[in-house]
Amino acid sequence: MNSLDPRVNRLPKIGLPGQVEPKVPLDQFGTFEVFVQPKEGKPFQHEGIVHAPNLEMAFVLAKEAFTRRFLCVSLYVVETRNVYVSALTEGNTTAYDFIHFVDQQPGEKVAFEIYHLPKRGKQHQHAGTVYAATPAEAMSEAKKQFGSKLVYNVWTIRTSEIRFTSADEKELWLTLPEKKFRDAADYKGGEKLKEFLERTKA
Amino acid sequence: MNTAALIELLYKMADDQLILGHRNSEWTGMGPLLEEDIAFSSMAQDKIGQSHALYQLLHQLGEQEPDTVAFTRNAGQFHNCIFVELPNGEYDFSLIRHFLFDTAEAIRFEMLSRTSYKPLAELSVKIRAELRYHTLHANTWIKQLGSATRESIGRLQHSLEAAMPYALGMFEPSPLEKEIISQGIFEGEVVLRERWMNTVAQVIGQTQLTLPDWKLINPVYGGRSGKHSEHLQPLLDEMSEVFRIDPSAEW
Repeated sequence: MNSLDPRVNRLPKIGLPGQVEPKVPLDQFGTFEVFVQPKEGKPFQHEGIVHAPNLEMAFVLAKEAFTRRFLCVSLYVVETRNVYVSALTEGNTTAYDFIHFVDQQPGEKVAFEIYHLPKRGKQHQHAGTVYAATPAEAMSEAKKQFGSKLVYNVWTIRTSEIRFTSADEKELWLTLPEKKFRDAADYKGGEKLKEFLERTKA
Repeated sequence: MNTAALIELLYKMADDQLILGHRNSEWTGMGPLLEEDIAFSSMAQDKIGQSHALYQLLHQLGEQEPDTVAFTRNAGQFHNCIFVELPNGEYDFSLIRHFLFDTAEAIRFEMLSRTSYKPLAELSVKIRAELRYHTLHANTWIKQLGSATRESIGRLQHSLEAAMPYALGMFEPSPLEKEIISQGIFEGEVVLRERWMNTVAQVIGQTQLTLPDWKLINPVYGGRSGKHSEHLQPLLDEMSEVFRIDPSAEW
């Protein structure tokens, strides 16, 4: 029987007796990393991932998945495989200790964005832009510029791989500050429940 | 200013937003993928918020409170076009409706940002900004699925053809159309429809979908004067159920 709920229709079908088959891979879309700028002048911060069929769809889906509440003035997305990641460190060891300086690489120098993990358990934050021919060279350039900082992980992304918010798309968040009703705190659920219980007890 | 003409215009726009907002919210929890579920639900919430803002303008013009207007009228007293009250059916129909409706709304509120009625002009700037996302979302999906697989193209094509007579019903002219235009309230449904047709054709032209011949489509009118399909009253009954039990309830 067909259900009106698409999730029910997606449930696996009952198999045949004696059936032995390889496990089917998950039919999920690929992942895209989402970065949000909460206020003008603040750095972009990694917020999480969305599943999407391509970069443009990822941008569209990320907007509501990550910026329907709280502050946002801009966001961007990049396919996960275009993010290059350094070793993770802890304590007093900076991730830059695990990044090697490399010689100048052949090829055109292009822009790469650099991100730092300032604390374990927090999100990566945009630190700056470097110019390099390869991700390894970009990490090396980042070490020259930011190597004295204590950070626990470094990411780099080729700028041309990023789907940015265009200047005229900034109005997408124009009314966001008015949507306080989407915040759990604004709803005051606990108070409403308490009031209801007292009212029904009386 | 001709207040009757302004009120008539505000009611039909507010009712469109409220009814489609409610219809689209029926997908909440059942969207085709999590991210899309969130996006479609957020936009449904935007539409209900937009209707609330328009009902507030009506209230300032002497009409009843927004909740009273939204929850206590019967189908015959609603001025939404029939297009927005049609059941969701499959997601392809909801996407096509979202595309056709929000394209019109984005143009409508862009036009209304220049209206002679200042409170509406100010509100239109905000609504236009929200619709910027709605049309980006709609256009991206239509371009994606309208050029993807045989099934996705076939489904969207079928829904596009089914939706079009109702979509043209969005532009049902008002009996006060002349006053609305002459007083600078709104440039009118004919201008809006022309601009809408161009934008729709421009997006559909980037897909493998085929636009039906405009000349062969008979628009489905009636909604603006309260003549609705059998689908509106059950929607209103469900939407107003809590309000009718306890008008003071907060949720």
